[in-house]
Amino acid sequence: MIRSLSLILSLLLLGIAFAFTINPPYPLQIPNTFGHRYTIPADNPMTVEGVALGRYLFYDSLLSKNNTISCSSCHRQALAFTDGFALSIGVSGRPTFRNSMSLANLLWVRDFFWDGHSKTLEAQALIPLAHPDEMGLAPEKAAQKLQQTTFYPLRFLKAFGTDQITPELMAKALAQFERTLISANSPYDQHLQGKYTLTPAEKRGMDLFMRGSNREQTIRGANCAHCHGGAQFFQNRFHNNGLDASPLDPGRQEVTGFDEDFARFRVPTLRNIALTAPYMHDGRFKTLEDVVNHYSDHIAQSTTLSADLRGMIALTAQERQDLVAFLHTLTDQEFIRNPAFGNPFLRP
Amino acid sequence: MKYLLLSFLLISAASAQTVLKITGEVSKPLHLQAADLKVMPYVEVKATDRDGQEHRYSGVPVIALLRKAGVTVGGQLRGENLVKYALVRAADGYEVLFALPELDPEFSARTIILAESVDGAALPAGTGPYRLVVPEEKKPARWIREVREIEIRFAK
Ligand code: HEC
Ligand code: HEC
Repeated sequence: MIRSLSLILSLLLLGIAFAFTINPPYPLQIPNTFGHRYTIPADNPMTVEGVALGRYLFYDSLLSKNNTISCSSCHRQALAFTDGFALSIGVSGRPTFRNSMSLANLLWVRDFFWDGHSKTLEAQALIPLAHPDEMGLAPEKAAQKLQQTTFYPLRFLKAFGTDQITPELMAKALAQFERTLISANSPYDQHLQGKYTLTPAEKRGMDLFMRGSNREQTIRGANCAHCHGGAQFFQNRFHNNGLDASPLDPGRQEVTGFDEDFARFRVPTLRNIALTAPYMHDGRFKTLEDVVNHYSDHIAQSTTLSADLRGMIALTAQERQDLVAFLHTLTDQEFIRNPAFGNPFLRP
Repeated sequence: MKYLLLSFLLISAASAQTVLKITGEVSKPLHLQAADLKVMPYVEVKATDRDGQEHRYSGVPVIALLRKAGVTVGGQLRGENLVKYALVRAADGYEVLFALPELDPEFSARTIILAESVDGAALPAGTGPYRLVVPEEKKPARWIREVREIEIRFAK
C-alpha cells in the first residue's frame, strides 16, 4: 500500500517535472519581407504552452464581468480580428469610444491603440479586461475566477511553471498568442513571389497606391504608401488624415500633450482591409469606396492636417475602382482560416 | 558654404514644454525647452528642398546639441564610438538615422542643422517648429520634420 502510494507520488512528481520540460519555444515564422525590427520582452519568451494558454484566454468569456464577452467578441478571426461595428459593444451595452482594431502583425506595432497610448502587448492586454464598457472585470478578480476552475491552474503551470494565476501572467499569455497573429499570404504577397498575376485593374491600383504624382501630373499617384507603405502596410506613425475640419477626438494629443498632435491617429494596417469595415477610428466610412472618395475629394483642412495630404489629387472614377481593386488583394484567406488562430474551445 | 552667425537677444515667452529630447548614449540627457534652444548659437545654411529651390535655413548645428548632451564626438569619436548612431524621431513617429561622423565637422564638410526658420520666417505647421536640414543631400528624405527627439545608440 505504502509502496504503491509512493509510486503514485513519484509518478506525479515526474509528471510535473515533465510538464516543465515539454514547453518548447514557439517556432515563430517571420516572413522574409517583414524584417526583424520588433521586440519580444526578455521576460516573456514565446513558448508553445504560453501561446496555447493565451489562445484559450483570448476566446474565454470567463474573463468578463458577466461571462458574455471575450476578446474575440470584438476581435473576430473571420473579420481579421475586428467586429464589423462602427463602435464595439461590451458588457455594459454602451458603445466603446473608438472602432475595434485588426490584430494582424502586432509584433511590428510599437504604440498600441488608435492614439498609441500603450507601449507593449503585455501592458495593453489588461486594459480591455478592466474597462467598464469592454469586459468590465478587474484583472485580479479575473485571475481569481480562473484560479477556481479545474482547467486553468494546470495550463498556467505548463506555460509558466506556476499554478498561481496572476494578472501579469494572464497578460503575458495573451501577448504571446497575439504575437503569433501574422498575416503575410495575400494575393499581393503571392504576386511578389511570382505565384499570382495581378489583374490589370489591380496592377494600376497598386501603382497609384505606391507612388505620388509628379508636379506636371504626367505621373499620377495617390501616394497611399507614403503612410501605409512597407511590408506590413502600416507604419508606426501618427497623422491627421483630414477627416474633419473641427475634429472632436483629440487622438494622439491626449497622450503627448502637444498641440501639434491634435486629432492625429496611428496609421492602421491596410492588410485585410476589405474585411475590416467600417473604417477609421470612429468607424465613419462603411465601404472602401467611401474611404477613397474621402482621400480624393473630402480632405478637411485643419491646423494639424498632414502636410503629405495637402497636395492630394482628385481621382478619376477609373482610378477609384483600381485603388479599391488593389486593396482587395491584401485579403489573406489563410490568416482568417488558420485553425491555430481560431477558437480552441471549438477546435483545439 | 558660408555660415552666418546670428545672435539672438530675444527669448520668447518660456513655455514649460519639452520640445526636444536628447537621450541614449549621452553623459547628460537633455530635455530642452524652446527657450533653451533660442540661446544656443545659430548658423545659417543654404540648401535645396524638394521644391528644387535653394532656401536659407537658420538653426542650431546638430553637433552643438550633441556636445551639450556629452555625446562622444570630436576627439572621442574613434574606436568603438565609431559604431554609434543618432536616431532622429519626429512627432509623427518618422525616424531617420545618422552615423555620428556624418554630424561631426571633424569628419564631414557639411553642417547639418536643426532648423527653426526658412528664408527668415518660422517653419510652417507640420514642418516646424524644428526640422533637420542636410545640405548637399540629393534626396531630402532625412530632412525630418517636426523633430522631437535625438536618441544616440550603439550598433549592437
Ligand atoms: C468591447 C470590445 C472589445 C473587447 C472585449 C476587446 N477589445 Fe481590443 N480593442 C477594442 C477597441 C474598440 C480597440 C481600439 C481602442 C482604442 O484605440 O481606443 C481595441 C484595440 C485592441 C488592440 C490594439 C491593436 C493595435 O493595433 O494597436 C489590441 C492588441 C487588443 N484590442 C487586444 C484585445 C485583447 C487581448 C482583448 C481581451 C483581453 C480585447 N482586445 C478585448 C475593442 C475590444
Ligand atoms: C498622411 C498619411 C496618410 C496617407 C497619405 C493615407 N492615409 Fe490612410 N490613414 C491614415 C491615418 C492616420 C488613418 C487613421 C485615421 C483615423 O482613423 O483617424 C488612415 C486610415 C485609413 C483607412 C481605414 C483603416 C481602418 O482600419 O479603419 C483606410 C482604408 C485608408 N487609410 C486607406 C488609404 C488610402 C487608400 C490612401 C491613399 C489614397 C491613404 N489611406 C493615404 C494616414 C494616411
